[in-house]
Amino acid sequence: MGMSTPAAKPLADDGARRSIADALFTRTQQRVLGLVFGQPERDFAISEIIELVGGGSGAIQRELRRLVESGLVKTVEVHGRTRYQANDAAPIYDELRAIVQKTIGIPEQLREALRPAADKLPLAVLYGSVAAGAATAGSDVDVLLVSDELTLEEAFALLQPAEERLSRRISPTLYSRDELERRRAKGHPFLARVLASPHVVLIGDEDDLIGPR
Amino acid sequence: MTSSALDNLVRIGKLKAEPTTQEELDGLIRSGEVRLRDAENTALALESRFDLAYNAAHALSLAALRFHGYRSENRYLVFQALPHSVGLAAEQWRVLDIAHRKRNLAEYEGEVDVDEQLLDALLRVAREVEARVRALVA
Repeated sequence: MGMSTPAAKPLADDGARRSIADALFTRTQQRVLGLVFGQPERDFAISEIIELVGGGSGAIQRELRRLVESGLVKTVEVHGRTRYQANDAAPIYDELRAIVQKTIGIPEQLREALRPAADKLPLAVLYGSVAAGAATAGSDVDVLLVSDELTLEEAFALLQPAEERLSRRISPTLYSRDELERRRAKGHPFLARVLASPHVVLIGDEDDLIGPR
Repeated sequence: MTSSALDNLVRIGKLKAEPTTQEELDGLIRSGEVRLRDAENTALALESRFDLAYNAAHALSLAALRFHGYRSENRYLVFQALPHSVGLAAEQWRVLDIAHRKRNLAEYEGEVDVDEQLLDALLRVAREVEARVRALVA
């Protein structure tokens, strides 16, 4: 630390937190990159991308064209139709893939990690700042798991590969079906908070979370 | 045991090196085991059992660290050292990690949100640490 250099003025900290993905990419870029670089082994028809990504097809097509022109995405001809795939020959292929998987592809990574135990997991929900798209570099990945068979230790072991790939701590909360029922019946604040804020159902569906109405 | 990992923690100021005595080890293990047996008492409230199990796990984990001749006032570090002090598996130490966070959160939010799955896991891990510490000092 040189004493002669003036101290850098910190940017105004108004308490606002922005997600890493939002700082780096537009929403459309996030969605397209999340799909194509989130699953780099797959190729996609343009119609599939538009369907999976959602949103305006014009914006998606412009994004895709930019990615193809830059060489980040390659086109392959299958049965005379153009399909799009992450270009593994691009100079930053590995880096971009890693960035996408760490910042955008978290739900996918979690589904993958939980898949071996999917038959024991009627419900798995991502909640908290990652689900809200407001995660900062130090944010935990919060997951609610419902299972009568899994132990918390087994949940940690299942999630460990994803934790390593994401370089983020994953914090699971594990409920039995009974416990979920009890908490739902009591309007437990934790469950109410999960329901009321953005969340991503990884396994099962929203109705399993909300319960009988 | 990989005491080189523990030595590294001493070097960066996270742990202190300090020889132990048999009395200290016996005292910590006794304290841990008494609380662990009480934590197994299903007549008690979930929150009380959680506190007892957490404190049992801490006393037993501290005994393991003291056995190797290290000390820390920081409870989290005492748990974090378990893979090195008794070779505890990552998924078991993470249960203590979660328990520690829940307990800290409770001090801010005034409510311990303990569920049975967490208590059961905490009891299993505390018993595992107990067995491993017993094997160390035997």
